[in-house]
Amino acid sequence: MSPDLHHLSGAYAVDALDRAERESFEHHLSVCDACRAEVAELSDAAHSLAVLGEATPPASLRTSVLAGIAQVRPLPPLVTDSSLVSAADDPSTPVAPVVPLFRRASTWLAAAAAAAAIAVGGIAWSPWSGDAPTLSAVQQVERADDAATVTSHKGAVTATLAYSRRLDRSAITVAGMPPAPDGKTYQLWYVGSDEVARSAGFLTAGADGHGEAVLEGGIDGASAVGVTVEPTGGSQAPTTDPIMVMAVA
Amino acid sequence: MMEDMTAASPGPRTSVSGGAAASPADLAELLRRSARGDEAAFADLYDATSRRVFGLVLRIVRDHAMSEEVTQEVYLDVWRSSARFDPARGSALSWLMTIAHRAAVDRVRSSEASRRRDDAHAAATRPVEFDETSEAATTALEAQRVRKALLTLTEAQRSAVELAYLGGYTHTEVAGLLGLPLGTAKTRIRDGLIRLRDTLGVPA
Repeated sequence: MSPDLHHLSGAYAVDALDRAERESFEHHLSVCDACRAEVAELSDAAHSLAVLGEATPPASLRTSVLAGIAQVRPLPPLVTDSSLVSAADDPSTPVAPVVPLFRRASTWLAAAAAAAAIAVGGIAWSPWSGDAPTLSAVQQVERADDAATVTSHKGAVTATLAYSRRLDRSAITVAGMPPAPDGKTYQLWYVGSDEVARSAGFLTAGADGHGEAVLEGGIDGASAVGVTVEPTGGSQAPTTDPIMVMAVA
Repeated sequence: MMEDMTAASPGPRTSVSGGAAASPADLAELLRRSARGDEAAFADLYDATSRRVFGLVLRIVRDHAMSEEVTQEVYLDVWRSSARFDPARGSALSWLMTIAHRAAVDRVRSSEASRRRDDAHAAATRPVEFDETSEAATTALEAQRVRKALLTLTEAQRSAVELAYLGGYTHTEVAGLLGLPLGTAKTRIRDGLIRLRDTLGVPA
């Protein structure tokens, strides 16, 4: 790990990073066990300070909290990504190639809407930040003057989508992603507001859990980008539920 | 660490309201039951932790009404995501306090809120009345330990940690407030927390 990132653990533990730093450090956390352990310990230490300033909330707050929860359903536990992948791969799971596309897509848009709460847009990339001559295709998207990014977390996986409306391109970077099971591949999709998913190519995760790809085709007309597990060679339309969905503005 | 502190001070939890006096295992169990929709368990969780959560939020946010709002959001969020608590990653109290701290900080960083905080800050220069005098016995012990541990930090470390954690400032803002070169505040914060962790980790 770079010493620079390592030093962010304390500031992260006390929420003293700005949004962009927090994002990139969380990206790092998803792949760095050492930093994750340190953050947990330093958070504990920091939270011990709260004992110095306890204050009794008004009784009315208790009433409204308890009234509030009565109307909210607790979320189910997170299914880990490996189990998601194996569920898709599990022969006992009925294969559902005939799920109507619009229904599948609705699920996606709902998931994207739910994920939008953690989406962060409008990351400013400094045009003067140096290494312009050797920009990869992914970096070219990331550094477009109108580039925005959306990050989605699921279990240990972090996916960041960078997109530029001006370039009409988007690029995805993932960390902590298990390799696709044998005979399967990660397929990328643009999902339009018309709820139609169109294939946007494939994503390969390396042994280190890292993967990146520029999506095929333009982002124009898309309101979300998703990732599904498909048989090797890909599918015409998604045949499994997405493991990641990111809404784009 | 927090587990050690609370485990080391097994007080009667019934007499304590909101001071997080319940043992870590109790809190984790209350969360598990909450995840299954057990509202009574959640009420117990609230009673066991709300003084600490509200105190922290109030310290950061300052504005009383806004602190109530944030605290309510925190508990709704905790209820909603109770099944996502992973005991392998830390204690239940730490998980809850992380949510509370993040919520309070996010609130003061929105520009509208910081304006209101500044107004409230003037009003609250009369210090916010933390009811330290009514600290329950277990909390008092724990507070004493934390105060002692804070003394092992250098002045610069302590200021940086307090401004960041209790003030809700970013490391850049902390650097500005302390007149430090940009980038050094995050090192001070980390060094301070490491020392705090190491001191608290040693049983009293």
